[in-house]
Amino acid sequence: MKEPNKKTNKRYFELDKNETEQKSEGQSQEVKVYNVKITPRILKAQKFKEQHRKSVKPNTYNKFNKTQKYPGKAPIDPERLKKYTRGKGLVGKGVRHPLYKEKLKQKEKKINYAQVQSARAEILLTEDQGGITIDDEDGKTTAISQKIIAENIDIAAATKIFELNLDFGPYRAKYSRNGRHLLIGSKKGHLAAFDWITKKLHFEINVMESIHDISWLHIETMVAAAQKEFLHIYDNTGTELHCVKKIDKILRMEFLPYHFLLAVVSEYGFLTWLDISIGEIVGHYNNHLGRCSVMTQNPYNATLCLGDPKGVVSLWAPTVKQPLAKILCHKTPLTAIAVDNRGMYMATSGVDRSLKIWDIRNLDGPLQHYKLRSAPVDLEFSQTDMLAVGLDETVEIYNDCCTQTTEKPYLRHRMAKSISNFKFCPYEDVLGVGTTHGFTSIIVPGSGEANFDALESNPFQTKSQRREAEVKALLDKIPAELITLNPFEVTEVDVPSLKEQMEAKKKLLHVKPKKMDTTPRRKNKGKTHIARKKIIKEAARREYLEQTKEVQKSLKPEQKQKAPKQSFGVLDRFVSNPKSKK
Amino acid sequence: MDNSEDADFVASEHDRLISAISKLDKTQHITEPTRSEPSLLNSEFNLIKRSNKLDLNKVAKVLTDTANHVKIGKKLKKTQDENRVLSKPLDRPQAERVKRATGYEQTKKQVGRWDPVVARSRGSDYVSFPLKHAGHKLQPTSEFLSKLKLKSELERELEELDPPAEIEDEDDEEQVYPMSYEEMVEQRQHLAKMRAQQSYTAAKAKRQSKIKSKKYHRILKKERLKQQLKEFEELQKTNPEEALKKLEALEKTRALERHTLRHKNTGKWARNKMVRAKYDKEVRNQLAEQLAVGRSLTQKTQDVDSSDDEGDDGQIIPDIALAQDPMNPWMMSEKDKSNINTEFDFGYKKYLKDRIVKKMDNSDSDSGESTTNQRDAQTTNDLAVLKKSINRLSKDNNDNIYETANKQETLDKSEVINEDLDDTTKNDHKATTTKQLKINNRILKSKINKKEFKKAKCKVNEAVATSSWTVENIEDKASNKQTPDVFSIFETLENKAANKVEKKLKRLRQDIAQLEMLTKETTTKNKKQKTDEPNADDTLEYLKLKNKKTKVVVDEALIETSSNQADSTINIGHKKLENIVATINTTTQEISKSKPANSDNNIDPTRFIEVKPKFLNSVIADGETGLDQLDDHEQVVPRVNIEEVFEEDDVVAGFRQEKEDEINKDKEEDINLTLPGWGTWGGKGVIVKTPKRKRNRFIQKPAPVMPRRDENKGDIIIKEYKDPKLQVHKVKELPYPFKSVKDYEATIRAPLSNTFIPEKPFKKLIRPSVITKAGTIIDPMDEEELLLPKNRKFGNTDIIKITSMK
Repeated sequence: MKEPNKKTNKRYFELDKNETEQKSEGQSQEVKVYNVKITPRILKAQKFKEQHRKSVKPNTYNKFNKTQKYPGKAPIDPERLKKYTRGKGLVGKGVRHPLYKEKLKQKEKKINYAQVQSARAEILLTEDQGGITIDDEDGKTTAISQKIIAENIDIAAATKIFELNLDFGPYRAKYSRNGRHLLIGSKKGHLAAFDWITKKLHFEINVMESIHDISWLHIETMVAAAQKEFLHIYDNTGTELHCVKKIDKILRMEFLPYHFLLAVVSEYGFLTWLDISIGEIVGHYNNHLGRCSVMTQNPYNATLCLGDPKGVVSLWAPTVKQPLAKILCHKTPLTAIAVDNRGMYMATSGVDRSLKIWDIRNLDGPLQHYKLRSAPVDLEFSQTDMLAVGLDETVEIYNDCCTQTTEKPYLRHRMAKSISNFKFCPYEDVLGVGTTHGFTSIIVPGSGEANFDALESNPFQTKSQRREAEVKALLDKIPAELITLNPFEVTEVDVPSLKEQMEAKKKLLHVKPKKMDTTPRRKNKGKTHIARKKIIKEAARREYLEQTKEVQKSLKPEQKQKAPKQSFGVLDRFVSNPKSKK
Repeated sequence: MDNSEDADFVASEHDRLISAISKLDKTQHITEPTRSEPSLLNSEFNLIKRSNKLDLNKVAKVLTDTANHVKIGKKLKKTQDENRVLSKPLDRPQAERVKRATGYEQTKKQVGRWDPVVARSRGSDYVSFPLKHAGHKLQPTSEFLSKLKLKSELERELEELDPPAEIEDEDDEEQVYPMSYEEMVEQRQHLAKMRAQQSYTAAKAKRQSKIKSKKYHRILKKERLKQQLKEFEELQKTNPEEALKKLEALEKTRALERHTLRHKNTGKWARNKMVRAKYDKEVRNQLAEQLAVGRSLTQKTQDVDSSDDEGDDGQIIPDIALAQDPMNPWMMSEKDKSNINTEFDFGYKKYLKDRIVKKMDNSDSDSGESTTNQRDAQTTNDLAVLKKSINRLSKDNNDNIYETANKQETLDKSEVINEDLDDTTKNDHKATTTKQLKINNRILKSKINKKEFKKAKCKVNEAVATSSWTVENIEDKASNKQTPDVFSIFETLENKAANKVEKKLKRLRQDIAQLEMLTKETTTKNKKQKTDEPNADDTLEYLKLKNKKTKVVVDEALIETSSNQADSTINIGHKKLENIVATINTTTQEISKSKPANSDNNIDPTRFIEVKPKFLNSVIADGETGLDQLDDHEQVVPRVNIEEVFEEDDVVAGFRQEKEDEINKDKEEDINLTLPGWGTWGGKGVIVKTPKRKRNRFIQKPAPVMPRRDENKGDIIIKEYKDPKLQVHKVKELPYPFKSVKDYEATIRAPLSNTFIPEKPFKKLIRPSVITKAGTIIDPMDEEELLLPKNRKFGNTDIIKITSMK
């Protein structure tokens, strides 16, 4: 040890460490010195911090924040945020040009902002869908009849339960898109449209021909009726506007509201798409399936689902003359198809009395397979994914039967007349049933979407709003060519032709071809990351094991109290001693 | 004279002064000597510093005598002249270039000040003109005051809820960091470690998953199996409870594995058979069986999950018998899982299933009993009932056995099962015959049998409400021994079965003894000290999993402890039972809860599990039964389905053929460039067999195509098509700054319309890049713009570089 007092020409690095520490400690006892290796990075960070602190300190807002109980905007639930995500954004060094890079960054920010705002806007969805709750221990709602419901709701709502007794044979009924108007058409030519809430009749005529199907067009002033020979279009006073003779012998009709297409299947298996905004037929061909009287549309991608007598559901688009996809659903003829509002699930039923739920988005399934006691006549999904099943004279409504196997129906309504079709009324908890002797409207609590978007479809639309909406809808009309299985296909780059172009450019002399990365954003199925999958599986397994452990633990009763045993002294060892059970 | 003297004096004084002054100057002052006469000698004292230069001016001055001299003098002077002639000025373009260069430098500096301003406005989202907004006008006092208002009701309420913080004056507040530096470093290290480990595992998993070697996988599997076996054995010794759990898990994984790999008719054997299947019924049957095995293997997982469906299995059986068509592999496979279940419900799968059912039943019956007990709190009644039931059961015993056996015989076609059943019945008989010594025992035995067959019939096990016992299923375990297919892992457990039977008997005996004791107690009330806590505990023990390897205890005395009243002990027992029931309920709930969560994972259960039809309690349409008669509790008994019987089988075959065609249509064929006879012998009788070399050289395989979307999807055809009409709408060329499709697609992923997003972001997204206010003069920027902080602080040097380059 060197003498600390000795004052020689000591360089700073020769100084004893202890000495300095002592010194510093002597100055202030509390301060403890850490020997942190100072790197330029730390220095920089420190500098930045200091600057930042300086700039922040005088700011009173910050102070304000600290003590505020609810500072700033409310945080958003990440789960909810996830709901509105548009997928992964632009990342990495794909774009090199600084100016474009900056612009794209700004755009990305805006998209994120839109996502956040959408999540925040959920607070405006104030209404909650209803439902039946019973204090019974098993909570069975099946036995609740319309009468009981009517007794327990307000008078205005109770008026939604009504029945029309009409004499012109089996009726088909359809609601307009905003759920305000009802159109009924009978086999014997009775055609009527009315505002079903106020019961104000728009028109009522007899077309003096059989009506096979009916449909509202884009607004409630126009209806289409598939009559014995041709397609007729009437306005809301019952005046015939058009008779489309190009389309004949129609079995079923579906109106695709965003494409302004009236899709039609005829008795001879012809599929026709009529653009009602310009009056042109955009697709017309034979499906070679024979007579198919089961048709519905998939609202997700506007394809038509056609059920044929062989039990196959085929999906059709106007521009492709072959089915986009085929699913063998039943081994018997199909009786009904329904696709839910989001285009996630498809319910099919066959003559074999079975009801199957399919994943129509991924084209997979069946997710669920039910066996009923009779073959359903019609199926229909409500806006909240309830499934109505028509069994001859009874309608059964199943709640949440797609994601999990349901046990029993949610509601059951029996009529004295057989069902021809039914539709859930949009934005109302109402199911309208067209029967052989008229029309029946019943209340199904919790079946309707509680919050409506007035810009999308408004049940309380005025005349001027309707006009406005019509113009807007026409401006937003989607071309018929865009009907595909994947509605987002337009947002994808046409990679094959891009590749072709690149190949062609490569062949040119003295032109340096640009380097392009042609891997598309959406990876094809089956190319999932295996490692990730494994990790997830592992995690799931571990979770399961832990759960089971806990269950086991909870199942274990307390240890038996050991009774003091009779002691034999040394001879104890010969007493049989079975191990106590754990 | 005086004057002269004075003058002399003055002079001398003057000289002295001068010399004194000159002394002040230290330099030597030596006067230059003048040469008066020529001499060769130079006095050394006369040497002074003097430039040697000849002053030509002086020389020229001298030369003035003659005109000639003057001329020469002038010339001399001229030579001395130092003035020079100006150089020729630069050429004009050059001069201008110079001028420009300097000017450029100057202006560059001047204009460069604007670089950040320009860069900022180019890079910014939008620019709005005019740049200068009219300054805020000062408000008159009255106007300003008019805006001040009292707080509204809502504001006051809000304030009450969340009082606004008062602004603190003092600024020097120590900032509290959530973590110390060390902690932070530690945490970061920890996180980094975690991340690294994760990536390692990911990389490892990826690497391992890429190994294609069959042999490797086989070895791996074998090793894993061995390991598991070892672990299992160890666990069995130490913790049988765990072991059973493990067994369950093993079973599950096995089933999954089997499902994914085997019995799917994808193997070589199956493919070979498939070729022959068209012509050979037997082969078809074999294939169907194989498929059925696969299905049965997969069935188990579902059974464990949904024990509610248990009832359905048995009921479908008659249905199947009708629908069975040995010719039709589809039907065989579809013919019904329940049937297959009975065939292939061997081994521990069945054991576990039964056990679970039993657990449920136990809890039910016990809880039922507990209520009765609460009512009576007298065990005497119970005992009486019990005895009665025992007697009745003993009567029914043998009949039951035969009946059920016969039933099963009719049901099951497979001989193996029949054999098993026979064996088991024999076993039971033996058991009954040998143990006739004790009446009690036999009675109990019969009870066991009864219960077993109840299970076999799959009826809802309604609680007899006589006793608190339930009995383990022996038959299944016994039958396990015969089934050849059982995994070796499970053998150990099988051995336990026999032990268990004995143990159970013991326990039952014990219980009866205890019950008798209890009755004695309650009737006489003499021995109040004697309680039967073990009884209560024993009943509890039946609820537990019985999987421990048990020792056979020859004779065990009743343990009598503590001194409580019988009633209280019974009550305690009730409580315990209730607890257990509650826990069971909660666990089942948990499981059911966890189910959807699992489905959320990447592992899609639908991929593995073939969906089993669920019979719904829907209405009978024909009106055979009224609505009133419908009861949801009622078990659904499916009638023979005529539609099912007459189902068209061609439909499936036709559809599959269609799919095959569709796949083959797109397939490109090999390009064969071989020339027959080229390089080989040709002609009649020569067996043409292209050698490998040739095959490789001349037969070109087409480029591999992308896998079809419907490749693994079963009976679904998805058309792979290119729609030219749609392609018109699609982007074919990437716009400028993008170099990858991914990036471009990412930028156009989000919708802009206000139908999809709220109004505010919509407005933001569609805002034009230049906004001009109508009706105003838009002045050019002035230099004040340079001083704005937003411009001064703009620091994106890349953009500045790019914009200033132009």
